[in-house]
Amino acid sequence: MRLNDWQRELESYLLGSDPSAKPALRASLLGSLALSAEDGLAIYHNAYRARLLDALRGDYPAVHGWLGDVEFDALAGAYIDAHPSQHFSLRWLGAELASFIDTYLVPEQAIPLGELARLEWAFSLAFDAAAGEPLSMAQMASLPAEDWPALQVRLLPSVQWQVCRYNSLALWRACKAQSEFPGSQTLEQPLVCLIWRHGLVSHYRSLEPNEAAALHGMAVAGWSFAELCAQLHELGEGAPLQAATWLRQWLSDGLLQRHGG
Amino acid sequence: MSIESPSLGYGLGLRTPYYQEILEQRPNVDWFEVISENYLVEGGKPLYYLDAIGEHYPLVMHGVSLSIGGPHELDRDYLRRLKQLAARVQPQWISDHLCWSRGNAHQLHDLLPLPFTEESLQHVATRVRQVQDVIERPLVLENVSSYLRSADDQFTEWQFLAALSELSGCELLLDVNNVYVSARNHGFEPWDFISGLPKQRVRQLHLAGHSDYGSYLIDTHDQPVSDPVWQLYQRTLRHLGPVSTLLERDDHYPPFAELLGELDQARAYAAVALEGVPTCA
Repeated sequence: MRLNDWQRELESYLLGSDPSAKPALRASLLGSLALSAEDGLAIYHNAYRARLLDALRGDYPAVHGWLGDVEFDALAGAYIDAHPSQHFSLRWLGAELASFIDTYLVPEQAIPLGELARLEWAFSLAFDAAAGEPLSMAQMASLPAEDWPALQVRLLPSVQWQVCRYNSLALWRACKAQSEFPGSQTLEQPLVCLIWRHGLVSHYRSLEPNEAAALHGMAVAGWSFAELCAQLHELGEGAPLQAATWLRQWLSDGLLQRHGG
Repeated sequence: MSIESPSLGYGLGLRTPYYQEILEQRPNVDWFEVISENYLVEGGKPLYYLDAIGEHYPLVMHGVSLSIGGPHELDRDYLRRLKQLAARVQPQWISDHLCWSRGNAHQLHDLLPLPFTEESLQHVATRVRQVQDVIERPLVLENVSSYLRSADDQFTEWQFLAALSELSGCELLLDVNNVYVSARNHGFEPWDFISGLPKQRVRQLHLAGHSDYGSYLIDTHDQPVSDPVWQLYQRTLRHLGPVSTLLERDDHYPPFAELLGELDQARAYAAVALEGVPTCA
């Protein structure tokens, strides 16, 4: 058999669910007294799926913990069949799991589970994202007063913005603490949760709606500091103070980089 | 001597559980081998520790996804990133495996064996030269453990490696444990393999543990090196002279002190072998 044909046969065998090989592939192999060709094939066949399942379990411990081994492996197996790996690194194997959950399960299961999967993937993205150039408190302290109104910022590359409609954060915490999972619950109002890396350490925190709107306006929608103050006009004279307080918090959290200027 | 450069001595595979102890203790490890793919990321802990440990130890880059024997086009983006990483790490050399890990359509994430045919030889040699043109240094290729043997083989694995290094200029990473595992599985003499390689092309040795499934072995890297592999290692050193030696552990990580103890065992076995004293466990 030509090399390319043989490799196509073996690839098809490894990706398939049938542990017995087609006659052409079997005939291309020699067994030994120690290891038959069938057993040799089975070693690769089992290893392929086990390695990928293991990677997904590692990336999604809370989804795994919530579903249990059997249901998680069924989900992950279906995902692997639908999304065979395209990246040289298993680091990226699970990138589409949340979207897959949206289509694989009935909506009442898919929506909370997909949200939990997105939250877990956000931690993966924050872990090894580029550091960017964090804007420090010291840099801000040396900013001339006349530059403040036009100041613009953006989120650093590691910052992941997740909107939770369910108690996904509580589920994630329970997994981390190895405590009992709470039941899935809808939140009274959607909660913005930020996940990011400060230095080498991953952090997360939820934001009150006003702070979330302010941070989104400034670091995503592109408001200047003056525009942020203007948006807070209902606070009257307290607007600049509130804006500065939040800005100080975001800087000490390590969320921002300077944009422009 | 195997290759005309001094041996780096006795190294360990750099793995996450040991990062902190390495930085704090600066253990008696002569060099570290890093899995290239683990550091092809944008930032965070992996690159921080890579840089910090690289300040104190020589590093070698060892890849697992080049897929030098694969049916696909070489991944130019991967090679570009590998070269960028090499510029950061300044590795002593860059290695990967004589295998294929990506098929026509998908990544298979395994070190799959090749048929040892003239067609494979020409295919791999052409691609090795292409890789070497990008990385601007000889590629070092490792023999893998295998569980399949092609009925179309025209060469033994060692003949194939010798011919490949001759044709392409690549160097060899001789994994002594992989030789032992494949020899047991396929029924050949491990020494035929090792003595059949061109001595002057062997850049590095690997040592690792395997799991015994009765009639056959699986290369699991989750156990200490076995006695027969230590014996084969000593015989290899007597044959080749001093060669940079790397101990791998990829699962069931023991306390770091235990792994350092196993590295000292390698030093002790090597010292005996290189003095020509015929003794082993």
